[in-house]
Parts: sequence; C-alpha cells; structure tokens
Amino acid sequence: MILLRLISYQYVRKHVLRTLLTLTGIVLGVAVFVGMHTANQSVLFAFEKTIDHIAGAAQLQVTAGETGFEEAALERVQAVAGVRVAAPVIEAVAHTNLAGQGNLLVLGVDMLGDRSLRDYDLEGSEEGAIDDPLVFLAQPDSLIVTKPFAERNGLATNSHVMLNTAEGPKQFTVRGVMRAGGLTSAFGGNLAVMDIYAAQKMFGRGRMFDRIDIALNEGVSVAEGSDRLRRALGPGFQVDTPTSRGAQFEAVASVYKVVANITSVCALFIGMFLIYNTFAIAVTQRRAEIGILRALGATEGQVRRLFLAESAAAGLIASAVGVLAGMLLARGMAGYIGAFMGEVYGIAERAQQVSTDPRLVFAALAIGVTTSVLAAAIPARNAARIDPVKALQKGRHQSLGEGESRRRRRLAVGAVAISVICALGKTGPLLYLGYFVTIIAAVLIAPAVGVWLARMLRPALSWLAPVEGALAADSLIQAPRRTSGTIAALMLSVALVTGMGGIARASYTSILTWVDTSLNPDMFVCATEKLTDRSYRFPREVGDQLRRVPGVAAVHEVRVGRIPFRGRPIMLTAIDVAAFHSRAGMPPIEGDPEGMYRDAAAGKGLLVADNLAIIEHLRVGDVVELPTPGGLLRLPVAGVVTDYSDQQGDFLIDLAVYRKYWNDDTVNVFRVYVAPGAKGPDVERAIQAQVGSRQRLFVLTNREVRAYISNVTDQWFGLTYVQIAVAVLVSVLGIINSLTVSITDRKRELGVLQAVGAVRGQIRRTVWIESLTIALIGVLPGLALGALQLYYWLEIARRDISGYRVDYMFPFGIVAALVPVMLAAALAAAIGPAEAAVRGSLVEALEYE
Amino acid sequence: MNKWWAVAVLAASAMAQAQDARGIVEESQRRNRSKSQRYEGTLEVINAKSKVTTKQWEYLRLGDYGDSKAMLRFTEPPEVKGVALLIHNHPDRASDQWMWRPQIGRDQRVALQDRSARFFGTDFSFEDLEERDVNQFDYKLAGEETIDGAACWKLESRPKQSKTSQYTHSFVWIRKDNYVFAQIEGFTKAGLSRRINYREIQQVQGHWTARRLEVLDAKTNSRTVLKLEKLQFDAPIGEGEFTLQALRRS
Repeated sequence: MILLRLISYQYVRKHVLRTLLTLTGIVLGVAVFVGMHTANQSVLFAFEKTIDHIAGAAQLQVTAGETGFEEAALERVQAVAGVRVAAPVIEAVAHTNLAGQGNLLVLGVDMLGDRSLRDYDLEGSEEGAIDDPLVFLAQPDSLIVTKPFAERNGLATNSHVMLNTAEGPKQFTVRGVMRAGGLTSAFGGNLAVMDIYAAQKMFGRGRMFDRIDIALNEGVSVAEGSDRLRRALGPGFQVDTPTSRGAQFEAVASVYKVVANITSVCALFIGMFLIYNTFAIAVTQRRAEIGILRALGATEGQVRRLFLAESAAAGLIASAVGVLAGMLLARGMAGYIGAFMGEVYGIAERAQQVSTDPRLVFAALAIGVTTSVLAAAIPARNAARIDPVKALQKGRHQSLGEGESRRRRRLAVGAVAISVICALGKTGPLLYLGYFVTIIAAVLIAPAVGVWLARMLRPALSWLAPVEGALAADSLIQAPRRTSGTIAALMLSVALVTGMGGIARASYTSILTWVDTSLNPDMFVCATEKLTDRSYRFPREVGDQLRRVPGVAAVHEVRVGRIPFRGRPIMLTAIDVAAFHSRAGMPPIEGDPEGMYRDAAAGKGLLVADNLAIIEHLRVGDVVELPTPGGLLRLPVAGVVTDYSDQQGDFLIDLAVYRKYWNDDTVNVFRVYVAPGAKGPDVERAIQAQVGSRQRLFVLTNREVRAYISNVTDQWFGLTYVQIAVAVLVSVLGIINSLTVSITDRKRELGVLQAVGAVRGQIRRTVWIESLTIALIGVLPGLALGALQLYYWLEIARRDISGYRVDYMFPFGIVAALVPVMLAAALAAAIGPAEAAVRGSLVEALEYE
Repeated sequence: MNKWWAVAVLAASAMAQAQDARGIVEESQRRNRSKSQRYEGTLEVINAKSKVTTKQWEYLRLGDYGDSKAMLRFTEPPEVKGVALLIHNHPDRASDQWMWRPQIGRDQRVALQDRSARFFGTDFSFEDLEERDVNQFDYKLAGEETIDGAACWKLESRPKQSKTSQYTHSFVWIRKDNYVFAQIEGFTKAGLSRRINYREIQQVQGHWTARRLEVLDAKTNSRTVLKLEKLQFDAPIGEGEFTLQALRRS
C-alpha cells in the first residue's frame, strides 16, 4: 500500500492523460456491458411487471399460441373440476390518436367474472365509480383507463378518446378511471380495459379469445390444476403460469444478451491490449525506479504485486466509471430495445424505469478488474524479473528478447495450424475452438508482424519522406513493445468491423434475394401500419371485397401468428400455397422444388424456413407436431426453403389446413397483385375508396415493404454499428496512447533532431507518419483476421444463433470505407502528440536521462 | 342407555323441526304458485355516496319454482335499452342464464362461476334472480322474529351439495299471516353479503306479493330498490318468449 502511494501514485500523477486514455478501454467495455444488459433487463422487467399486473390473481393461463382459440373453449375450461374462475382475455395494442401517447395496451375482459381475478381499483371507493356498470356493459364504446393516462391526457369519466379500430378510428367513452398502482402500472400506465366482446369487434378477432386466465379453488395446487386442464383441453392448448410468458419474452430478447456480451467482450479485449501496452511501457520507463526498489531489498514478488495492485486499482476505478456511464447508456438503449422488440417481434413494451441489478454491477466491476489485472500480468512479471544492476545503468533498455519472440512465433504457427484444422472440421465445439485459437494466433503474431510490416514499409516511407519516413519506420522497428499492444488492439478492432460488416452485407444480400422471389406482390393490404403488428385482423370477407376492386388480378390471404414449438414461440404462416406458388416462391434448400409446394398445397406437408430447420434439426420427411386448438396437427416436412420472415424461423402451411385446425378465418395481410395494364396508384386509390371506407386498412406498396424490411434490417444491425463505433474509438485511443508514449520515450531523440536543425514541420510529419504507419500495420492483419472471423461468425450464427444460411461475402465496400477512416483517425490521433513533440523544451529534452 | 335415549329424542326433534321448516317453505311456494308473471320494474340503485341511478325493466316469467323460464329486459334509459337476461330455472340444478347486449350484438352465456357477480350494476347478483325450488336447500327453523311489524318464522337454509351457490347459508323470514317472504339474508364465508327486504306486500289477482324489494349489498353499502308496477299473474305468455331467438330481439 505504501509502495502504491509513494511510487505508483506519483507515476500516475505525471501521466494523467495517458492513464485516462488507457482506462478508457475498460470504461467503454464495462459501460457497454452494463448499459446493454441493464437496458435489456429493464425492458424484460417492464414486460414481466406488465404480465404480473395484468395476470392479477390468475394462477394459470390457457393459450393456444398467438393465434387464439374459439370461445367454446371457455366452457370446457369452466367445466374442469377445481377451476374457481376462468376469465377470457383479449390483449392487444391499439393506436391512439393522442399526441405523444403512442400505443395503448387494451385488455378486453368479461367484466362479469373478471373482477374475481383483477382488482381494477377504480376511482371512488366502490364499483359505482364506473359511472354506470350497466351502461359500461351495454355500450361497446366503453373504456376504463388508468389514472396516469387520464391525467396525462386530461381525461375524466365521460370524456372521449379516439382509438383506431378494425373498422377505422372510433370514439370511445371513458366510463371509469383506475387508481394509480397495481394494474395501472402495466405497460407504463398506457392501459385501458374494455368489454371482451367489444374488443373482439374492435380488433377484428371474430369469436376468438387470446387466452383464459384461471384461478383455482382452494386446496387445488397449480400443478394439479394445470394437469387437469391439460387433460381436458388436449395438446393444442398450453397451460402455463403467467410468469412463463415472461420466459418467452426472455427467449426472444436473449439475442440482445448475446450481442451485448459480444460487444462488451470485444471492447474489454481490445481494452486489455491497451492496458497491456501501457503497463509494458510503464515497466520500461520505470526500470530505474524498479532497480532502486530491488536494490533496497524489494523482492520480485513485491514488485509483481505492486504492478498488479496498480492494475487492479486502475481497473476498479475504470469499471466504476464504466458502470455509471453504462447506467446513462441504458436509458437510451432501453427505448431502442423496446421499440425494436415492438417493430420486429410485435411485442410492445416500454420500460419506464431503468434500474441496475447490483449483481450486474458487481459482475461488471469484477470483469473490469480481472481484465485489467490479466492485461498487466505479463508486464508485472517482466518488471519483477528486471535485473537491478542493469536497470540502474543509464541507457540500457531491456527489450523483447529473441527467445521470447521465437516462442511467440512458434505458438502462433501452432495456433494457426489448429485454427485451420478447426475451420475444416466445421463441427460445433471445433468451430468455437477455432475462433478463439485464431484470435490468440493473431495476438501472438502481432508484434512480429508489426516489425515485419514496418521493415517492409520503410523503403516506401523513406521514398515518400526521406527523413521523416525513415525516422518513423525506425521508431517502430526499434521499439516493437511500445506499439505491439496498440497494433493488436487495432487489428482486433478492424477484424471486428470487417466481420460485422461482412455479416451485415451478406445478410442484406440474402434478404434482398428472398424479397425479390417471395415478396413480389404489387401491394400488401394490412390491418395495421406495421407488418409485424398482429393486434388487428381482417374478417375473411375483406378478401372478396378486394378481389372485386377493378385492376386487382389476384389476392392471397395470409394469416400469421406465433405458436409454441418445442418450447419456443415459432411463427406460423398460413397461405393458399398453390396460389402463392403460382406467383412467387422461396429459394428451396432441401426437397423437390415443385413437389414440396404440391404437397403443402394439398395439406400433406409443410414448408420449413431454413434457419428453423437448422436449429431444430428438421429434415424433409420428418413429421412435425403442431399444437392447434383442434388437436395435434402432424405434418411431414415437404421442403426446406429460405425464408427470412422471422428471426426465429417459421413454418408455412396451407390456409385451408389452418382454418380447419384453428377454426379461425381472420386474415392479417392480403397480398395483392395488380392486373396487367392497371396502374398501381389507381388500384391503391380504388382499394381505399371501395374497401377502406368500411374497413380500417393500410395499403403498402412493394417498394414500401422493401423499405420497411431494409429499415428493420438496419435496426437490427444498428447494434453492430455500436460495436463498430466502440471498436474504432478504442483503437483511436490506443493510437493516441502509443504516440504519447512514443513522444515521451523519444523526447531526447526529438530534441537532438531539433538541435541539429530539424524544423518543427519535420518533427510533426515524423509523428504523423508514425501514426499512419501504426494504423496501416494494424489494419492490414486486421483485415486478414476479419476475413477469417467472418467465416467463423457465419458458421456459428448459422449453427447456434439464427440458423440463417448466409453466403460468405467479404465486405469490400465496408473495408474501402474503413481503411481511410482508420487512417484519418490515426492522423487525428497524432495531432496532439505531434504538437506536444514540437512544443517541448529543447533544453529539457536534451537533459532527459 | 339413557344417553342413547337422549340422542334419539334430540334427533327426532331436529327432524321434526327440519320438516316444519321445509313445510313452511313448501306452503309459501304452494300459495304463491302462478302460471306466469309479468311486471314492469323500476330500479333505483343508491350507492354509498347516495348517488342514485334509475332504470326500468320488463319482466316475464312462465312456470314457477324450479321449473320456470324468465326474461328480463331493460327498457330505460335509452343507452341500456334492449339489454336482456334469459333464465331457464331447473328443479335439480342451477339455472342456465344468457345475457344479450344489442349494441354488441352478442348473446353470452353467464357462467356458473359468474353468478355471484353483480347483476348489471344493481345490488342483485345473477344468482339472486333465479327462482329457487324448495328441494335445492335444506331448511332449519331458527326462531321467530318480527319484520316490518309482521310476525315471521326465521328459517336457516343451506344449499344442498348439488346446488352451487355463492352463499354458504341464508336466513329467510316468512310471514306467518300470508306465507310471503319478508326478508332474506345471504351469507358468504366473509359474513353477511346481501339482505333483501320484501315490502309493500299486497294481494294481486289472489297472490300475496311484495311490490317493493330493497336489496342491500353489505360489502359496499349500496342499495337497490325495485318497484313492481303493472304486475300481472297468469297472463297468457308463450314459450317462444323464452328462447335465445327471443333474447336477441332487442
């Protein structure tokens, strides 16, 4: 502790800027880790809170996936022994026309029995606070809103509020206001309750319920109750506790955890090299200090512990700052994740509170400190091994020994060999091993590659700027330890960007190919503005109305909804397969390209999206069991196709099969083809005039749908851009760090240069060239590593994350943009250090050492 | 031996009491039997804050006590007009009930579990609208009391196992002079739930009947007063008035 105060603290005080720059890597890594996890947890917590509040006293919930089920199921549930209350529910998100209020979660309930489950805690002390319960039940425009929502919008009993319904915007009347707390906390207070039969009409649900909430008689356990219900209802229904819905959301949101972890690990990994670099330099710079300590009797262990303690303290401070920054970041991220979940998965949630889990904070601190200590381990060991006699001799610098370099090279060659074997092996564990070994190989080989590239570049640099170029190259060749960490960090950053960019580009290309072949209707008629929002549905008759519109050649009805499959919510798409195949198709992966559609159209099979087939190990001929309200539907896989409709994958079945088993003829989307000769805009206008006047609908042109898909893909890759930004930022910090050290280290050399007549411009250019060379040396192997990483990531993503089979495509465009960005960043990073180099005192510089 | 004699005497006494109690209810039902009933009811719901809401309904019944059908249709105010409840009472089990809301255009079966819910914001529950047959309950004489100045038998009734009821037990006061119900108190596990007072008892077409019912919800302290007007017994009413099709006629 004394050494830490007397020696380390003094050193840090002298190098405040460098210390700050070094720690930024940890700060960023921890901030991203805390920020993304906190945001994710907050959205999840808000969702669970909503579920909890909405569930009320319900002990069990009966569902049949997202598709809902016929009303008749209610009587079957009510007849089950031990069921005290069975209350049907429709839950949907309605769009309000209130400025700034966005969506309203509408809970459609049967007020007769529902109050046994949910406490509406109405304003006033009794039920009479619904101005008139009979009027509430009698009038389909009745609505109960929460007090926070009422206050935000200046609403009171008998106020009117406009809501979009399946039949267009309609005026609703507030007939009750729920007190704050409890149920009103759900969905951030944007909650309304209405009669379930009115809700069916409002959302075009036909005679279907979304779920039935259940309370059991006293003495009947949840396990017993669910067992009885399962037996009574059959395999087509799911009987779960309300909390299990949270688990489903968690499964969907888990992808964010993966991204958050990857980003954090990357930032921390890159940060680790910065710390390594700084400590390696510090050891070199403080060799005299260490020599004195050793001469005064300090043991090797004490010196090692001193440096490790320094790194731990630095890691702790950086992590603490990172945690605070992460909490701030989480506020922005929570909104982003909530919006994204709503956009892509149709699961809308708004996190009102962002609170950090103490366990997460502890984990973040531990990760930060561990990273820092790990990074400082080798420099600490080197410091402990410093020979005090040599250390006290002026001008004797210890440098990377040839033996160590050879060892590194041998290890690197071995690692490369393992990596190649793993890449060829293509099996799960080997892929992960190969990926990590590739990174280790790159890190091991970085110093040698750095020196080799610096030597290669020296003639070119000397040719470009005879004095400055040669000086810059020599500086890098002579002191590889000074820059090896930065080069490794840069290399990893560039590799990350290349890999991520590659995934993005390959995904875009594959998605566009799929859009061309599958989503080719001229327009899509939807019940909501967003294709993923399934709150509103059309009655089947709307299809006939559309077919009668002049200029319409064909209309294909589409019904989509998630159903549980092997414990995961999987999208089910039902369409008239024969009609679909006559105009569109999906690139086949496995199965007879024509026969698969024939079988599916005849109801003798189903098509499976490639990603789902990979993740669930489904092959053509395998029999898939789908739970339906009409019983278990067993269909063989007729074909595996490329389909990017849903990130979790989807099944495609014929609409007739769906209607038979689900007894549901509502429609989510109509695919509309315009007749030859007819003009799209004219047809669109005619649809709006003839059908839109009676029915709430949105006509999206093919171009708009493409733009929407592109936008969603952008949103998805938006997180990867965060990763890229973090990687580039950390690299720039690394360069600044290295150059600052380089200037300090070469103070005497630069002073001598100035003394013998070098002008300030030459010194500046030397520093600039050195910076650009560092960047180039980092970028070139980084691109090679990125190319390899892309291969591993595509394979890992295909096998274990999304299942998407995406072709390998090196992102030349992104690289073309990245290289100048990195060079420009390097140049910008060099400005400060270069100025420091020319503005230093000549006398002081020549007195150095 | 003496001990067994005492038990036998007590059991015999309890049986005689039970038979008496049941006999009283049977006699009450016998005297009030009619082929049909029709009236126009005015409902006043007075909540704990003394806010009064008024509604009117039209009531039709065919048959009686456990073998009857009833239709209740709101006629006022305009925003609730047409809301209706169809009841098919059964001698051996709980009734079947359906409600109709014309604005929503849906008939809806009222589940057994929902019978304890308040009937459209009044202080009656759906169960209270059923006509109960004597055989669905066990009765016990609980004493004699005076209600509204009239001497009454106080009977305790408990639903038999086959009957699903929100009430664990009830006390029923039947006037000695005309065998008309004077008061009912329904109890749940939580205690007194509802009290119904039968007032303005008059003879209409030979039937002693209350023209005013007052219901108190003991939990919310809300009261509902039902006044029976244009009361008719044994009027010709067809079976067709008590079907789901008839319910949907708003």
